[in-house]
Amino acid sequence: MSVVPATNLNRRRLLQLAALLGGTATLAACGGPAVGGSGETAQAGATDWAGITPAKEITWWSNHPGASKAVEEELIKRFQAAEGIKVNLVTAGANYDEVAQKFQAASGANNIPDLVIASDVWWFRYMINGQILPLDGLAKHLEFNTDDFNKTLFDDYNFSGNHWAVPYARSTPLFYYNKKVWQAAGLPDRAPKSWDEFDQWAPKIAASAGVVPLGLGKGTSWAAWWFCNILWGRGGAYSKDWTMTLDTPEAIEAAKYVQKLIFEDKTAAVTAKDQVADFGAGLTGCTLASTGSLSGILKAAQFEVGTGFLPEGPKGQACPTGGTGLAIPAKKSPEQQLAAAKFLKFLTNTENTAYFSSNTGYMPVRTSARDGATMAQVYAKTPQFRTAVDQLQTTRVQDWGRVFVPGGDKELTTALEKIMLQQADPSSSFATASSAIEKSFEQNVKSYL
Amino acid sequence: MAAIVDSGRRRAGKAGSYLWLAAAVAVMVLPLVWMILASFKERDEIYTVPAQWLPASFDLSNYAAALAAVPFGNFFLNSVITTVIGAGIKMALGLTTAYAVVFLEFPFKKFIFGLTVFALLVPQQIVIIPNYTLIAELGWINTYQGIIVPGLASAFGTFLFRQHFLTLPVSILEAAALDGASHWTRLWRFIVPISAPTMSAVALVSIVSEWNEYLWPLLVVDRADMMTLPLGLTLLQNNDGVTNWGVLMAGTVLVTAPVLAVFFALQRRIVSGLTAGAVTG
Amino acid sequence: MSTMVENRRQMGITAPPPPLRRRRRWPWKSWLLFLLFAGPNVALLIVFTYKPLLQSLYYSTLQWNIGSATARQVGLGNYIDWFTDPTTAHVVMVTVVFTIATVGGGMVLGLALAVLLNRRLRGRGAARTVVVAPYVLSGVAVGLLWLFVFDPNFGICAALLRAVGLASPDWYNDPQWALLMVIVVYLWKNVGYVALVYLAALQTVPADLLEAAALDGATPFHAFRRIVLPLLGPTTFFLAVTTLLSSLQSFDIIQAMTQGGPLEGTTTMMYQIYQEGFQTGRAGYSSAVATILFVVLLLVTFVQMKYVEKRVHY
Repeated sequence: MSVVPATNLNRRRLLQLAALLGGTATLAACGGPAVGGSGETAQAGATDWAGITPAKEITWWSNHPGASKAVEEELIKRFQAAEGIKVNLVTAGANYDEVAQKFQAASGANNIPDLVIASDVWWFRYMINGQILPLDGLAKHLEFNTDDFNKTLFDDYNFSGNHWAVPYARSTPLFYYNKKVWQAAGLPDRAPKSWDEFDQWAPKIAASAGVVPLGLGKGTSWAAWWFCNILWGRGGAYSKDWTMTLDTPEAIEAAKYVQKLIFEDKTAAVTAKDQVADFGAGLTGCTLASTGSLSGILKAAQFEVGTGFLPEGPKGQACPTGGTGLAIPAKKSPEQQLAAAKFLKFLTNTENTAYFSSNTGYMPVRTSARDGATMAQVYAKTPQFRTAVDQLQTTRVQDWGRVFVPGGDKELTTALEKIMLQQADPSSSFATASSAIEKSFEQNVKSYL
Repeated sequence: MAAIVDSGRRRAGKAGSYLWLAAAVAVMVLPLVWMILASFKERDEIYTVPAQWLPASFDLSNYAAALAAVPFGNFFLNSVITTVIGAGIKMALGLTTAYAVVFLEFPFKKFIFGLTVFALLVPQQIVIIPNYTLIAELGWINTYQGIIVPGLASAFGTFLFRQHFLTLPVSILEAAALDGASHWTRLWRFIVPISAPTMSAVALVSIVSEWNEYLWPLLVVDRADMMTLPLGLTLLQNNDGVTNWGVLMAGTVLVTAPVLAVFFALQRRIVSGLTAGAVTG
Repeated sequence: MSTMVENRRQMGITAPPPPLRRRRRWPWKSWLLFLLFAGPNVALLIVFTYKPLLQSLYYSTLQWNIGSATARQVGLGNYIDWFTDPTTAHVVMVTVVFTIATVGGGMVLGLALAVLLNRRLRGRGAARTVVVAPYVLSGVAVGLLWLFVFDPNFGICAALLRAVGLASPDWYNDPQWALLMVIVVYLWKNVGYVALVYLAALQTVPADLLEAAALDGATPFHAFRRIVLPLLGPTTFFLAVTTLLSSLQSFDIIQAMTQGGPLEGTTTMMYQIYQEGFQTGRAGYSSAVATILFVVLLLVTFVQMKYVEKRVHY
C-alpha cells in the first residue's frame, strides 16, 4: 500500500540487495589510490637522458595566460620548424585553478599532457603528489642555461634541492594610477613612495576628484597576494617555513592598517568584482593589479595610466611574484619528457621570452631578454612596462603557508575578506586561517615530505 | 447590489492580475534583454556609471571576438551530438526497462524497479570521483562516449514510463498478444505509438538536461574542439586581465539563442510535454 | 501506485501472460527476455551509480589527495573532521537556507504564477511560454548573464535602484546578499517549471466544484484553501521531491556566479564537495561530505514520503 515501490522490500529481497551490493563492494575496492605507505615524489637523476631520443609529438596544457593563445601558437610554429617536433596546444581551462584541477584529477597516464601550466600556488601540490619531474637533470643534459633566469623567479620552484618548474608567464603586483585624477589633486606624476605618503595624498584625491582613492582586489589567488606588500612591508609574514606567523604584532598591524584605510579614512574600498574594471572605468584613483593586466588596462582606460612600484612599508620595499611556470609530468615516457624539455628550453630562450613578454605584459623571465633589444623597444613605446620590470629586482619568494599548503591561499583569502569586508577582528580571523592551514599541512603535506 | 459589488471587485481583481502578469513577464524578459544589449556594447559603454542602456551601434564586433577566441561551431556540434545520442538512448532504455517491469514476468522485477528509482536519490557529485577514474582508465577522456555513457542510465524516464504503462488500456495488449506479436513488437508497435505525451515529456527532460550538463563534461573534456556549449562559454572568461562583459555576453547569447528559438518554435508541444509527464506522476 | 498494480493483478490483467506451459518448459526464456529489456539499464546503473557510490563510501575513509597514487587509511577521521570543523555549521546553514528558499519559494511562487496563468487573461499563453523559457537554458549561461545584471557598478539592477534613489546592495561582497542573489537566479530559472506543473494540475480541478463552493458562500480564497489545495496534494508531493533533488544538486549557477564566495556565503554542501574534491584536492574528505549529504537526502526523502503517504492516502 505504500507510495514508494522501494519500501516493498521483504527479507528475501533485502538479502538479494545485500548480495548485489556485496558483489559491487569487491569491485569498489579496486581502482583509486593504493593504501598505505607515504607518498613519494619523483626522484631526480633516475633517467640517463643521454640514450633517449625525443618523441615526435607532445601535448601542452595551457590556459593562455593574458589571452596569449596566438602568441603560444606562433612559438609552437617556430619550434616545429626548428626541431621537427609537433606540439598540440590544449586549452585545459580558463584559469590556473581550472588547469590545475584537471591536471590533479587526471590520474590515468594516457590522459596527462607532456607539459603543463604550474602556477605559484599549484606546482608544489603537483610535486608532493609525485606528478611532476625535477628538471635539473634534464636542464643539464640539454645545456639549458638556467643561470640566466631571474633568480627569484626560478628559485620559486626550488624545493629539496631541485627545481620542479621553470618560470613562464610571471607577474608581480603593480601600482596603477589615473593621471587625470592625480593632476586634479595636484599630486606629482608618480606613485606614492610609501604608504605614509599615500595617506597624505589620499584625502586630496578624494576631495578634488570625487573618486575612491584606492581600489582593492579580492578573491582567491589575488587578495592574499597583494596583501604580501603591506604584510611584508611591516615586517610580518604569513609563515616562516612551515610555521604560521600570523599571530605576530607585525601581521596584526598590517591587517589593522588595511582596516584603517577602508573603515576609518575611507580612502580605500574593496571592489565588487574586479578592481581592474573599476579602475579602468574611472571609479577609483589608483589600484594594485597584476603586471599581466597592463595591456588590458591600457586598452580599457579612457585616461592616461601611470604605473609605479608598490608603496613601501616602514620596513621597506616588499613585492611578491606570481603567475605561472611550466612543469613536465612525471608519468610520461622519457622520450616524451625529453621532447617536452626541448620545447621548454626553446620557449624560454632569450628571443622567445622577449617575444612572449612584449606581447602579453608578463615579466621577461630571463635577464638576457630583459636587457635585450626587443624589450628595449617595448620600454620605449610603453614606459609603464619598464616600472614593472624594474620592480622585479625588489621581489622576494612567497611564504610557504600561502603557496605550498593545499587550501592555504583560500584560507588566507577568507581571513582577509572577513577583515576587509566585515571589519572582523584581525587576530581571530588570522587564528582561524592559521589553524586550518596547519591542519591541512599535517594532513596533506607533512607525510609526503 | 451584491452582484454589482462583486463584478466591480472582479474587474479590479482582473486589472490586478494583468499587473502581476506584466510584472512576471518583465522579470523574466528584462535580464535577457540586458544580455542582448550588452553583447553589442563596446568596452567603455559597459564600464560606465551611470549605466548606458542602449549601445551606440549594433555592430557585431563582440560576436566576432567571441567566435575568434573559441570554436563555437565545434561546441554547437558537440552539444547536438551528445544530446541527440544521449537523450535518444536514454529514452530507449527507459522504455524497455519500464516495459520489462510492467509487462514481463520476472521474480525480482519490483526489486529491479526499486533499484532503478532509488538511483534518482544519488546525486551526481557523489559518484563523480570514482566515475572519473573509470573513464580515464578506459581511455575515454575527450570522447563522446566519455561524455555520454556515465549519465546514460534512465531512472526518471523508467519511473514515468512505468506510471504511464500502468494506465494503458489492457485491450490493446490483449489484442496484440492474440496476434502473436513478440514483446519487442508489442513495445514498439503498440505501446510507443499511444505513449506520445509521456514520450515527449521524457524526451524533453532528457534533452534539456543533456544539453545543459556542465560538471561532468568539465571534468572529462579538456580539448576545446570536444567541448560542449556551456563548457566552451566559460573559456571566454578572461583571467589576469579585464573581464570583457561585452564578449562574454555575446557568447552567452550564442549559447542561449538557439535554445530559446527552438523553445519558442515548439513551445506548445514542449509545454504540454513537460506537464504531461508531471501530472502522470 | 502499487494499489493499482494489485488491482490489475487480481483482475488478471497484468501483461498478457505467456502460456503457462511454455514458461515452465523454458524458464530461462523469461530471464533472457527480462535481461534483454531491463539488463542494459540495470548494468549501467550498477557500473556508474551503485559501484561508484560504494567506492565513494570507501574513499571517505581515506586521507587522499586527488591525483596522488597513494593514500592513507584514517577510518572515520574525515567524518570527525567535518563535524568538528568550525565552518561546518556555516555550510549547513547556507545549505538549509538555499534549499528551503529554492524549494519552498519555488513552490509558493510557482503556485501563485499558476493561479495567475489559470485566470482567463488575454496573453496568458504567451506569458506562460515566457515564464517557462529560462528553464531550458544552461545554468552557466543563466549565471553569467545574471552576474552582469547584478553588477553593483555597471549592472541593470544598480541602474534601476539608482533611478529611484537607492544604492545597490553589495551583491558580490556581502555573504547574505550573495546568497539571496543565487537564490533569486535559481528561482528565475526554475520557477516556470513548477508553475507549469501546477497549472496543469489546476486545469484538472472541476469547475463545478468551485461553483458549488461559491454558491455555498465560500470566498475564492477559502475555496482555494479548502478545495483546490487538497486536490493539488499529489502534485505538490511530486514537485517537492523533484525540486528538492535538483536544488540540492545545483552547481552550475553557484560556479558561474560566486564560486561559493564571498566568505563562503554561498558554499552549500554540494559546492563544498566539489571544492574540497577538485580545488583543495582532498578527495577523501570530499567523499565524506558527499556521504553525509547522501544520508541526509535519504532521510529527508523518506520523511517526505511517510508524511505524504499519510496525507494522500487517508
